[in-house]
Amino acid sequence: MEENEVIGPKSRDRDIEGNKIYRFLKLNSFDELEMDYTRSYLSPKNYFLPFKEDLVTYSLQDKGWEQEINYTIHPRVIVGMRACDINALLKLDQVMLKSAYPNPYYFARRKNTLIIGLDHEPLEDCFCKSMNSDTAFHGFGMFLTDIGDKYFAAINSDTAFIILNRFDAEEITDEDRLLFKAEKKKIELKFKTQVNITILPELMDLEFESEVWKKWGDKCLSCGTCAMVCPTCYCYGMEEDIDLSITKAVKRRFLYSCNLLDFAAVAGGHNFRPDAGVRLKYRYYHQFRGFMEAFDQSLCVGCNRCGNACLAGINPKAVIDDLIETETK
Amino acid sequence: MSTKIIQHDINLEPFMSKSPDFNRKSILMQTERSFKSEIINIITLTALEKLFHIRISDHFERENFSFLPGQFVMLHLPGCGEVPISISSSVSNKEYIELCIRKVGKVTGMIHRLEPGAIVGIRGPFGTHFPVQKMTGCDVLLIAGGLGIAPLRSPIYWINEHRSKYRDISIMYGARDPDQVLFDYQFEEWKKIYGLKLLTIVQNAGKNWKGRVGLITDLFKEITIDPENTFAIVCGPPVMFKFVCAHLSDVGIPRHRMFVSLERRMHCGMGKCCRCNVGSTFTCLDGPIFDYWTVMNLKEAI
Amino acid sequence: MKYLGITLERPKIGIFDFTGCEGCQLQIANNEASLKDLFGLVEIVNFREISSERRDDYEIAFVEGSITTDSETARLKKIRKQAKILVAMGACACSGGVNNLRSRFSLPETIKEVYGEHHIDSGPVRKLKDIVPVDIELPGCPVSKNEFEWLVRNLVLGITPQFPTYPVCVECKQRLNSCVVDMGMICLGPITRGGCNAVCPRNRFGCWGCRGPSDEVNFESLMEIHIKRGFSEEQVVERINFFNTFSGIFK
Repeated sequence: MEENEVIGPKSRDRDIEGNKIYRFLKLNSFDELEMDYTRSYLSPKNYFLPFKEDLVTYSLQDKGWEQEINYTIHPRVIVGMRACDINALLKLDQVMLKSAYPNPYYFARRKNTLIIGLDHEPLEDCFCKSMNSDTAFHGFGMFLTDIGDKYFAAINSDTAFIILNRFDAEEITDEDRLLFKAEKKKIELKFKTQVNITILPELMDLEFESEVWKKWGDKCLSCGTCAMVCPTCYCYGMEEDIDLSITKAVKRRFLYSCNLLDFAAVAGGHNFRPDAGVRLKYRYYHQFRGFMEAFDQSLCVGCNRCGNACLAGINPKAVIDDLIETETK
Repeated sequence: MSTKIIQHDINLEPFMSKSPDFNRKSILMQTERSFKSEIINIITLTALEKLFHIRISDHFERENFSFLPGQFVMLHLPGCGEVPISISSSVSNKEYIELCIRKVGKVTGMIHRLEPGAIVGIRGPFGTHFPVQKMTGCDVLLIAGGLGIAPLRSPIYWINEHRSKYRDISIMYGARDPDQVLFDYQFEEWKKIYGLKLLTIVQNAGKNWKGRVGLITDLFKEITIDPENTFAIVCGPPVMFKFVCAHLSDVGIPRHRMFVSLERRMHCGMGKCCRCNVGSTFTCLDGPIFDYWTVMNLKEAI
Repeated sequence: MKYLGITLERPKIGIFDFTGCEGCQLQIANNEASLKDLFGLVEIVNFREISSERRDDYEIAFVEGSITTDSETARLKKIRKQAKILVAMGACACSGGVNNLRSRFSLPETIKEVYGEHHIDSGPVRKLKDIVPVDIELPGCPVSKNEFEWLVRNLVLGITPQFPTYPVCVECKQRLNSCVVDMGMICLGPITRGGCNAVCPRNRFGCWGCRGPSDEVNFESLMEIHIKRGFSEEQVVERINFFNTFSGIFK
């Protein structure tokens, strides 16, 4: 703790019903860590893809300029990431590291973050099992499963193994093995929400002109919250700024949302997607169809953070069920 | 044993000491680094369009910069912004690239205020290109509307430089007003030296216009097309290429032999920001050059 | 001063106040760290709060406050005549702001309540746009000093400033805030223009809409989400009308 920056789930506020609202924040001591947390309001994605990130700084001269790029990231530990969040990172890896033009900023953050995962019993609305994201086998340093008075730890990196020495660790016994299996089974049986995604990619095409999009689009506030809390939404924009003395400039990336009005507006005033319903459709289209076409998996991990955070109550389960229903009607 | 995590400093990775090569898409490189380049010449074409000659300052970077007809670069003004601009010059011109820029927004407005000697940034080249090599031995039909002539200059140069490998080349060019006709100072050269058939048409003829008046599709009356041995390159506003491609399709040219250039909002050029997302593809990676079959099957492309 | 070889003029600016709390001016004046750079970029020829200099050769006028008297109307018209660019600065100038609350009561009554028998000259509250054309509206109550400086930079560089089109929610999420609506408050964040870095929700205080509407506003949905959480329509309408920033597009 005193040596590394540690991020973990922490609650400061409560909602109307008195439930704690958890967020991934910097921990000052391990006492602040709440291992029994339910779901963080925002995903920990911002520790890999910051909402705002300075990419290049420039020093300006009368005619020309010099550029400076730096990828220095201080090592950091994130404790308590769920399997769905780790799967979300693996999906981001596909885009950021394994496709054309690997992203060095993301690479530096990924390399310098030790992830300690944590199993949990699914909440009422978790549908990660339907999205095949309820378990994680790689992409983390350590993964903990609560087996009563102990944690079962899967170790995936040397750094994690060194950290393990700090704790009161012991070899796995046969009893632990059974407890672990039982716990996993218990988790598996607890999933209540199912989303049928088998025909989804086709459905997205078939229902492209569907009234469903208008129905949900009319509710949509176009506030971008869904994309901000999503563990995988990575669309971004660029902005540049100059300081008041006109000697320094910066190129900054900021995460954006395809639900925001000007997402597809081009210079000259034309907007390719002026309606909220159409923008909502494209968010789903990218999550369940576009990404599937590019990487053979959907971008959504089924954490339902967007559904939880959306004030207007737009959630993937309801939208997809609606699409399927209009199909079978 | 200390549990302090040792920093993995990627600043020490080999890519940090090399200048980025945007043609090698799969390696880690400083993708946000732009080539410092100097504006060496500015030609005012119309009230809204200027042609910029831009020369990459560093000798080594300039030597290594190579592109194919139809590709674009991100032109960068530090502190102002970046815009995608298709390269409008010959691939064999190693000295400088030419960019034809219309004044429409914040960045292009600022570019228009620059003077020769100003240093700008170039990233790229990005995107797909017109498959000019595949077109050898065939007729090529180049159809441009308005500013669409700018990206066509690069394939025109290519064809001219390898003129004997191609059969008949026709350029059809439509503009709204006579004073918006771009690059007319090159037309004679193209016609006389390289034997290209060049037809221009404007929608609203002014007093001094002596040429054809009408829509670009009217020009089809004046050419004969051999559908089995013709490739088409179409560049212009979506309405235009929709009609043009429909006509070409009726004549019998297969849709996968027609190529169009799409235009979208772009922020990165590397398939990351999703701003240029069309259906399930990204204009910057899978485009901007698409064959018409693909475009037809993309949602919201036209 | 030069930018990429382009010579930048140092424009003369004037900052003027009308009926208001002068809080916006204070925002500009209290950013000591950047004042020096600001003076380097522009020449301030008229700014009562920080200088006794009064010159009328300004090119850009920043005007704070709403217009309530005939003499103010005349003074504003004079400023408009001189300035090439007129910027309405703050909610009072852009929409009447808090002052507008007075319009809900009869004018003589309000004057009597506050000033008793003392005679004062005061008319209906008007925003600048009601009287003269306004080139740029810098929103907020008060304006954000960062946004003011950003605007000045854009004007000096000759760039048409593009204010955020998205609502407060975007920046609120970016600051990792808990949603204040979930916490049981009314918040106009989803319909209010961003750019303020969500200062109010950051301090667990629902948005009051001082920056006016974002480019896309869905009042029905906003009403629905608050009614679902137990608020009355009146409460939400009261909030929307508070700064008068949504007048003309709401109801």
